[in-house]
Amino acid sequence: MAELQSKLQSAIADRIFLIWVAVIAATLVVTAIQPSAAWLIDYPKAWQIPLADVVNIGADWFIDSFKFIFRFLADVLEYPMRALQWVLHALPWAATLALFSAVAYFSSGWRLAAFTAAALFYMALTGYWNESMNTLALVGISVPGAIALGFALGVSGHASPRWRRTLMPILDLMQTVPAFAYLIPILLLFGFGPVVGMIASLIFATPAMVRNVLLGLDTIPETIVEAGRMCGASARQLFWRVKVPSAMHQFLIGVNQTTMAGLSMVIIAAIIGGFDDIGWEVLSQMRKARFGESLMSGLVIAFLAMVMDRISYGFADRSTGVSASHVPWWMQRRYWIGLIAVPAVFIALSFAFEWLASYPKDWIWDPAAWLNQLIKDFTRDYRGLTTSIKNNTLFFFMLPLKIGLQQTISPFSWGFEFTPVLKALYWALLAAVSAYAFVRRNWPIAVCFAIVGIVLFFGLTGLPWPTFIVAVGLIAWIAGGRNLAIFAVLSLLFVLTMGLWKPAMLSLYLVSVAILLCLVIGGTLGILAANNQWASWIIRPINDTLQTMPQFVFLIPILMVFQVGDFTALLAIIAYAIVPITRYTEHGIRQVSHDVVEAGRMMGCTKLQLLFQVQLPMAVPQILLGLNQTVLYGIGMLVIAALVGTTGLGQRIYIALSDADAGRGIVAGLAMALVAMIIDRILQGFSEQRKAALGLS
Amino acid sequence: MRTKLFGAALAASLSIAGFGYSASAADMGDVSEPIKLAMNEWTGQHITTKVAGAILERAGYTVEYVTAGYYPQMTAIRDNTISATLEIWSSNIGEHYSEALASGQAVHIGDLGLIPQETWFYNNAAAEACPGLPAWDALKECAKAFANAETFPNGRLLDYPADWGTSNVQRLEALSLPVTSVPAGSEGALVAEIQAAESSSEPLLVMFWSPHWVHASVELHMLGLPAYEDGCYEDASVGVNPDSTYDCDWLRGRIDKVAWVGMEDKWPAAFELLSAYQLSNEHQIPMMAAVDVDGKDIDEVVSAWVDANESVWRGWVDAATQ
Repeated sequence: MAELQSKLQSAIADRIFLIWVAVIAATLVVTAIQPSAAWLIDYPKAWQIPLADVVNIGADWFIDSFKFIFRFLADVLEYPMRALQWVLHALPWAATLALFSAVAYFSSGWRLAAFTAAALFYMALTGYWNESMNTLALVGISVPGAIALGFALGVSGHASPRWRRTLMPILDLMQTVPAFAYLIPILLLFGFGPVVGMIASLIFATPAMVRNVLLGLDTIPETIVEAGRMCGASARQLFWRVKVPSAMHQFLIGVNQTTMAGLSMVIIAAIIGGFDDIGWEVLSQMRKARFGESLMSGLVIAFLAMVMDRISYGFADRSTGVSASHVPWWMQRRYWIGLIAVPAVFIALSFAFEWLASYPKDWIWDPAAWLNQLIKDFTRDYRGLTTSIKNNTLFFFMLPLKIGLQQTISPFSWGFEFTPVLKALYWALLAAVSAYAFVRRNWPIAVCFAIVGIVLFFGLTGLPWPTFIVAVGLIAWIAGGRNLAIFAVLSLLFVLTMGLWKPAMLSLYLVSVAILLCLVIGGTLGILAANNQWASWIIRPINDTLQTMPQFVFLIPILMVFQVGDFTALLAIIAYAIVPITRYTEHGIRQVSHDVVEAGRMMGCTKLQLLFQVQLPMAVPQILLGLNQTVLYGIGMLVIAALVGTTGLGQRIYIALSDADAGRGIVAGLAMALVAMIIDRILQGFSEQRKAALGLS
Repeated sequence: MRTKLFGAALAASLSIAGFGYSASAADMGDVSEPIKLAMNEWTGQHITTKVAGAILERAGYTVEYVTAGYYPQMTAIRDNTISATLEIWSSNIGEHYSEALASGQAVHIGDLGLIPQETWFYNNAAAEACPGLPAWDALKECAKAFANAETFPNGRLLDYPADWGTSNVQRLEALSLPVTSVPAGSEGALVAEIQAAESSSEPLLVMFWSPHWVHASVELHMLGLPAYEDGCYEDASVGVNPDSTYDCDWLRGRIDKVAWVGMEDKWPAAFELLSAYQLSNEHQIPMMAAVDVDGKDIDEVVSAWVDANESVWRGWVDAATQ
């Protein structure tokens, strides 16, 4: 009893606890009086701020006044792209294949060369060679552009801390505002054509380079710079001869990430059309609901991405090597000689053998029809099973979070009526569980139980917005202090006053369900992969494929099996967002120091104890980082999931796109970015705290 | 040289003489520069465009096909990045079209002659589950046959994506049908569900349109909604429900051809030819089936049609060029 009293006293002394109690009480009161004060749940239309209209007026003026500059820029960008496109089409396919394989060989050896050759041969074999070359031409200009721009921005940000503070939030927006939101303004500015895709991929891919350049320059050991100074290097020499080589490894990681990001955006930008590339092919097939064809063409992108990923990683790994000066000139120049000689041989051969010049149509292999039939058969044969999986997930997991138990429970779904008596029982049970947690553990756990219980009862769409905003502000405060709390509250107020609260809650619900499932499934797979080499070998290529495949490809088969609706969208989001959490969990557990694991073993831990009490707790910072990525991927996927009929911010962006309403699109995109940034910052805050607690930082 | 000048003068005088008539002969214009026709996202449009392109080529023009998104092409047509686009559905092009026309840079060059039918369709399994169909009020009794977990006890109408602008929510309410509209999100989603319902023999009620290639592989029946009458969308008293608007079928849309405004000066004969160009349902649908169901090459299908149907198009070419 005395213990309870002291617990109560210390809890009451904690201001945060008191605020939580107030928030919970306010939520309950508001939901109780809700019929007479509906504005607390549904933000009234009359209070919305017409920012979108203002944006439209501003954008129209800007486009009319400055269009000529951007049109000029578009021409400047289009010429090299058309030139590259011409070269890639003029080259015999065998020569291009040989050239890429040679680059792969110099990057990391025979195995990569063989993989590259196989990947490029796939493009010819399946008849997508021309489209692939068009995509390559796009990427071939936009990615180097993004790298150059990112390098310049990174260096300038390193030089001027003030500029850096402005730059960072811009980078965040560039990475989190969905491209669909700004495609229309870009289209109007730059004019119709492939340049739109290049600009979109430039916007999305540049931040990765900037971040890595900054990181590289920040982490150069002071002693190296000092040594350079002692040798009397000028500022310029210091930069090019000392700093750049020291940070080169990190720069190349940036190049790698920028390449991947650029490639993924080229697909999304294909929705504009104007260019007969792989992205257009994937999208057209998706529109026709042809799974086979979209998978076959989507694999081209996946292979292209994997090849570029491995090649650029190969160069990053080699970059630390030192070149010797006593080898003969042809050894030093052997890469360049090889890169010219190998394709030259194939060009020469292609004059003799027609089939080396352009891949014969008769040799094309097309298993699409077979794949389509496979999906149809599966849909037919497993309808009962798939429907019951879907319904159970909906009734017992998704709908409670969306519309609350109060609306979900019915004889049709749960088999009984949610009578007032049962409702009273629910609240009594919740109170008892929270009280028990308070007594036996501590108040934060009790508060968590109470919050989960309330959210499940009313659903995310049934919660009053004032208390929701305060609650998120509080969480942000705990995770990252005052500034983060202010940011979170202001962002949510923005979403609210733009009239986007309902769609934002619908998006949040879908993403939360997806992330919870990703955490459970992906975490389990990650643990499995960390402890079992076989599992790791199997999971890795699956992850690579899921991550690099254009997301549109997943939609059709899932849709055919599970129909239009939230469940299909959920699976599509999971398919994409599960990758980082799996990877980071595996990585985090593998990274736990051997001494710690050994110590655990010596103390007689069983395998399970070792996992849950040593490895997992030590890996939490890494897992949180993975979770953070999963959240960002999940939110990014929301827009694409809207293609299978979700209602939320993604749908708003499409509506704006089809109405040619740049303002509304940008506002909805911004709302999505802000939601992503709030969750991102909060998770990062917790990760930092956890790191500090483990003594890892 | 002389004959050429004479020909031009003759053509000019003829076009002056024929002023006011749409089918007056015109100058060819710059035949060396390709006329750029937009290729959008669906097969029917590809056929419409390639047939027109083939006819233009036989008339002596060069044609280039430009891949273009349905909405974004309305930006491209303002500056001859695209010279003409030939299958614009008035029902779903939205603001992009009216903005392009308002800019004065794009002109409407008549309708295509393709008759679109947009309404509710149901499949064979639905006909079995609900024998009262196609009468619309049969749905009152058997809506449950179309229900799923998210709509129960209501039936489910798989609706157009929200961004296409659909009035079915109002229509369902006006007809007091126990059915919920579920927006599909994309054309791919609509088609995938139609095919999935067919292969698993499940009843499906779907907002869809014809001509579409899917009709060649899946049998879909039109539901008999109360016929559209003028004023039904605006005036509550019109239609079966005296207290409500939208108590009728969808208004039959129009399919337009649109050209860049400068086309008339640059390629006068081509402009006239494309204005005259017509492709009806009975011509387009078999070609669509040949491409999408039988897997034939679109260029072969189109050139076979052009060869076989010279009587259909020869008149347009002659009127425009001679």
